[in-house]
Amino acid sequence: MTSSPALAQILERSDVWRGDTLARAPLPGVPTGFAELDRELPGGGWPRGGLTELLPVRRGVGELSLLLPALARLSSDELAWLVCVAPPHPLYAPALHACGVDLSRLLVASAPGRDAAWACERSLAADGVGAVVAWLPEAQTTSLRRLQLAAEASRTLLFVFRPAACASQSSPAPLRLLLEGEGEQLVIHLLKRRGSAQAAPLSIAIHRPLRLNHALARPVPTAAAARSSSQPAIA
Amino acid sequence: MIPGLRLAEAWAFLPALSIQERDVEREQAALTRLACWAGGFTSEICVLPPQTLLLEVAGSLRLFGGAAPLFERIVAGCAEQGFALQPSLAPTPLAAQWLALAADEAPCLDADQLPQRLGRLPLAVLDLSAQNQARLASFGVRSLADLLRLPRAGLARRLGVGLAADLARALGDLPDPRPRFVFPERFVEHLELPMRVDNALALGFAGRRLIASLCGWLVARGGGISECAFEFAHQRGAGQRPATVLVLGFTGVTRDAERIVRVLSERLQRIELPAAVEGISLRADAPEALPGRSASLFDKRGEGAGGDSVADLVERLQSRLGNGSVHGLSAAAEHRPENASRRVIPRLSAEEKSPARWLAAALPATAPGPRPLWLLASPQGLCEVGGRPQCGGPLRLLAGPERIESGWWDEAEPATVGDIRRDYFVAISVRAEWLWIFRGQEGWFLHGVFC
Repeated sequence: MTSSPALAQILERSDVWRGDTLARAPLPGVPTGFAELDRELPGGGWPRGGLTELLPVRRGVGELSLLLPALARLSSDELAWLVCVAPPHPLYAPALHACGVDLSRLLVASAPGRDAAWACERSLAADGVGAVVAWLPEAQTTSLRRLQLAAEASRTLLFVFRPAACASQSSPAPLRLLLEGEGEQLVIHLLKRRGSAQAAPLSIAIHRPLRLNHALARPVPTAAAARSSSQPAIA
Repeated sequence: MIPGLRLAEAWAFLPALSIQERDVEREQAALTRLACWAGGFTSEICVLPPQTLLLEVAGSLRLFGGAAPLFERIVAGCAEQGFALQPSLAPTPLAAQWLALAADEAPCLDADQLPQRLGRLPLAVLDLSAQNQARLASFGVRSLADLLRLPRAGLARRLGVGLAADLARALGDLPDPRPRFVFPERFVEHLELPMRVDNALALGFAGRRLIASLCGWLVARGGGISECAFEFAHQRGAGQRPATVLVLGFTGVTRDAERIVRVLSERLQRIELPAAVEGISLRADAPEALPGRSASLFDKRGEGAGGDSVADLVERLQSRLGNGSVHGLSAAAEHRPENASRRVIPRLSAEEKSPARWLAAALPATAPGPRPLWLLASPQGLCEVGGRPQCGGPLRLLAGPERIESGWWDEAEPATVGDIRRDYFVAISVRAEWLWIFRGQEGWFLHGVFC
């Protein structure tokens, strides 16, 4: 194929990409900790300076575990701050610590309603913040667009959790992931990325408390057994 | 305007004239406020009521990059605070005073130039008595240059020792010690507003002046503050409301005016004023020691130039969302799940070993069992069908039981977990949710989510 120099120049730009390949990111991404996912993401990891929208089908499918390798790396190796905005339930420190997150570099902000998006924006503007993880179930497109612009102006990772019902709505986020649980695997549908569409959903082995084939083979204890076993034994 | 004119006559000349009555007390307060602010430049300050402020800046020249930049900064700073001033710079205090009175703004840095510079001034700057004025006129003395030319001993005999000594002090031949302005132990400054203000945002402008003066005081006292309080006095008269108090807290000890102004304006956006405000006061207790700061040779990550620091971020979030809204987390070696994760005040200085780090270091490397990333604020009851716990369908138990029990020692205390006896399981729902559930004496409960 022959292309004029002007066209070649345009194709060099990071915000222009061919439909059959992945876009080149302006900044190298932060490795996700999952090689098969890194291969599918422009920039080879979570994009710095961009909004990443995560749409878990249900809670507890491993949506936060997916981010933890990158967060642990940011907080421990790069000594960057992590800001969690409006988590729906309290985060549990021992589990985060066990996953390698440096707790002394973690801030949790509880912000109700519309203040949550504001808190994200402020966090993106701060120096030394490596990643912002926010739960914004009620965010409107306008506030997401503001966040995307704020993220572009920084080098911070921005993850926003929204309900899976938002998958059908349009979004200004350059990267959107629909997350589904399947046993101990996490199935990722890349709804949107800069580049060609994803061929097939990606199945990733995230950190789980145990492997399913090691699971309890014993019968479930009955109520009576549990009660009797709760009595202290006196010998 | 001609001094000595009666008010009615003045009005006849200029019908649009507006009259301001002189308030000596307020003038004094303004001068003290300005003296506090000037503490940012030097600690040697002398207040000469009613209108003169002397700063000895010889010791500050290097810090501020020379006389001219320092002079410009002081003049610009005063103008920013709304003062119209007549500045001058001279090697002796009296010469500076005379130059200021004669509106000679060009800085005089060399003592050898003093006779020449002072010589150009009119005699009016000397504040002579009528008798002495008449005598000087009879000598044929018209300007200060003529006076300086006369022999000093003869002058002292004819006009009194005072004038001759003043001339010697102005030229630097005699020492001229001045009483030093004592910076107050606690900072309390009040500012009357020129007009009533009902808009909270407009208060930020007046607040900025008080903050500038506070920061000067802090520099002079060599410390910072972690808390200060603004008080907005409301309209006097019948039905006067108590003053609105706004306490600003900071995440660390600070004397950064920009930071204080930012927190103030953030708080002002959220405040509801019950009535119009007539005066603002700012109070700060004794300054605290400022943590040592050194500029790093290389740009350290996390303290780079440009954006806000994380301390600023925490402050901003707290000022808008409430004090308890931003916290850190620390893990504790405690067997009851609720107690193993604690909310802590964010520790922002990376150098000192924070308690969170100590606690984390004390944690065993291997957790006793699987722990979820979310722990529900309070366990949520699950119903049981056919001996199996239900959560949107029957749950499959994958691991467990892990028995966690006991805690009788804090049972009687308020807001503690108390004595528990629970068997924890890792369970998976039919919708592939990984949950942490337990069975207690009251049945099955959902306690955490492996999200």
